[in-house]
Amino acid sequence: MASDLLTIATSGVRAARIALDVTAHNIANASTTGYVRRSVRLSELASASGFGQTGDLSFSGVRTDGMIRNVDAFRQGEVRRTGADATRAETELSAYQNVEAAIEQSGMFPAITGFEEALQQLSTDPVDPSLRAAALEQARTLARTFNLAEQGLTTVADGLHFAATDGTDQVNRLAGELARTNLQLARSTPGTADHVLLLDQRDGLLGQMAGYGNIATTIAPDQTVTVRIGGAAGPPLVTGGNVDPLVMTTAPDGTISFANAAGAVTLSGGKLAGEAQGLLLVRDNRTALNTIAASLIASTNGAQSGGVALNGSPGQPLFSGSSAATISVALTSGAGLATAPSGAAAGSRDPANLAALRGALSTADVSGQIDALLFQVSSATQGRRITSDALDAIAGSARIALDQQAGVNLDEEASNLLRFQQAFQASGKAIQIASDLFDTLLAIR
Amino acid sequence: MTSVSTSAFYERFNLDQSALRSRADALQASIGSGQRLGRSSDDPVAAARLRTLGRADAFAAVDLSIAARASSDLALTDTALQSFAASLIRVQELATQAANGVLTASQRAGIATEIASISGELVRLANTRDSAGHALFGGDATGDAYMLDGAGNAVYIGTATASELPLGDGQSVTRGLTGPEFLNFGSTNLFALVKNLAADLAGAAADPAQAARDALGGLDTALETITTQQTVVGTRLNWIDLNTERRTQMGELRAQEQADVGGTDLTEAVSRLQQTMTVLEASQASFARLSSLSLFEFLR
Repeated sequence: MASDLLTIATSGVRAARIALDVTAHNIANASTTGYVRRSVRLSELASASGFGQTGDLSFSGVRTDGMIRNVDAFRQGEVRRTGADATRAETELSAYQNVEAAIEQSGMFPAITGFEEALQQLSTDPVDPSLRAAALEQARTLARTFNLAEQGLTTVADGLHFAATDGTDQVNRLAGELARTNLQLARSTPGTADHVLLLDQRDGLLGQMAGYGNIATTIAPDQTVTVRIGGAAGPPLVTGGNVDPLVMTTAPDGTISFANAAGAVTLSGGKLAGEAQGLLLVRDNRTALNTIAASLIASTNGAQSGGVALNGSPGQPLFSGSSAATISVALTSGAGLATAPSGAAAGSRDPANLAALRGALSTADVSGQIDALLFQVSSATQGRRITSDALDAIAGSARIALDQQAGVNLDEEASNLLRFQQAFQASGKAIQIASDLFDTLLAIR
Repeated sequence: MTSVSTSAFYERFNLDQSALRSRADALQASIGSGQRLGRSSDDPVAAARLRTLGRADAFAAVDLSIAARASSDLALTDTALQSFAASLIRVQELATQAANGVLTASQRAGIATEIASISGELVRLANTRDSAGHALFGGDATGDAYMLDGAGNAVYIGTATASELPLGDGQSVTRGLTGPEFLNFGSTNLFALVKNLAADLAGAAADPAQAARDALGGLDTALETITTQQTVVGTRLNWIDLNTERRTQMGELRAQEQADVGGTDLTEAVSRLQQTMTVLEASQASFARLSSLSLFEFLR
């Protein structure tokens, strides 16, 4: 078959029209999340005109070979990895900040200072009922700040737990969708618009999943993806069309762990990892808070038992309870504060046991322990903030690097519009010339 | 080829803008509150230091009120001691008159009556109350320091010593004097001396003039003891003043440190805010320019 100018020109027009369509599609999706810029791959169509006529070249124009997704798997992987790290750090930071707020804003430190202040004031006149009442009320405030801090920690833990439960469900939902996408991918033809759309969907799902946990992906030649959760050494979550769902287990102390049927999952990235870390922090701080509450209770009650109350009866415990959640004031009135040493008469102004109480508080160093706890939480928070800022910047630049490659540049698309419009016009001209040539032949008489 | 995609351009602008905005926000907050730290994690070390300073401030305020109370109690003690001394001088005058042998028995009886009334006054003075309503000279006891027994003798019912009040930083001051500290001398006390003198002059003694002369020596010792204790009280007041002065200085140092550690350096913060705002405005202006620069504008 010889070259046919009309056919060649028609194929050119068709190619230019498809390229224009793709350009318009790119412009329309310029701000679609996860959209990867497409371009058309064209290839020349030329063949020998018949068997054995190798020397004779005939041209048949152009054909669209397929659609190209302008994306680099490495950059996508980087966005997922850095994104998982950044979300983990961000979730962890917010847990740390909430714990810091729970402990600091409960006002424990001002309350212990206020209690010691009231005791010091009481030493000027240990039998003054108003000073005694003030000291007792300060003790009540102190006990309540412990309750408040404990409640704050519980609220933080509940929030984290709720988010982690939801996160686990989300991971399993995404895994299910990925498995379906895998099945569709295996059936669709590479290079078609449908196939490209499925790839976008696959990458979008992987990106979302990386927000919850660090994943390792293996892409098969047919573009289906195998996902391992918890890094390359973790158990598989999605294999082809199969999902091995992630299960969250809550320990009695409130901490969480993950596993699926293939084994335990250790998460080092993503929201779920941050939430698990946050719950560990809550547990540690709750233990520390309980230790401080116990030492406050032991030191004050011990000192109380060594003296006598205003009416000369043996001193009764000032605080009841044994932990930050249960601590409360046991004395019913300020007269019960044992300021006088044992053996003193009723109404004694002898402040010896009050001094012993203040001494016990300073020996147990309750204020120092609270200060140390605050310092520990706040410096850990500061460290996490620095980490989070750094990881955020890294994730941001990885995202920009991917966008630079995969995103749509409107200026480029504008020039493409012109380019393909010109190609369309030129092919049209070729059709006109083919027609003219034909007319020329017909006009021969 | 790496091309700058439109979304990358917007994304980068968003990142830069939010970073600049949050920096400006933080500066604005620290200028507005005058505090460099919004929460402990902004600077854990400084926050811990501020907590310690705040705690010291709180205790200093209590120390101040305790010192004020100790001062007023000691001032009351001083006034009472002056009254004791005045009464005692009057007794001395009366005893000197009574020692004169030419006085008649009725004149001596008149003097005895006056001394007896002064004796009652002395017991009431010894039961003066302090600023909290307790016995000023009763040590740690509540209520009276002295009571009269069946024979009309004043008996001390307070505690052996007065307790000490803390003045902060480990310093303390004894809040007052107990009665025996300035009313007892030798083997007797002032009340017994004055009461016996009154009884002797009223006729209990064979030679009232001689009894009055004998009593004068005791009265001298009593006055000496009271003035000695006045000196002690004055010294304690000075000690409190010294501590108050030191506390004021420490307070100033603490306030200075609090401002250094936790306060905002206004000059620096304002100039940094200005710098941030300039950068913010410039980047917004350049963004507006660049984002309006689209090829579509030029293709007609």
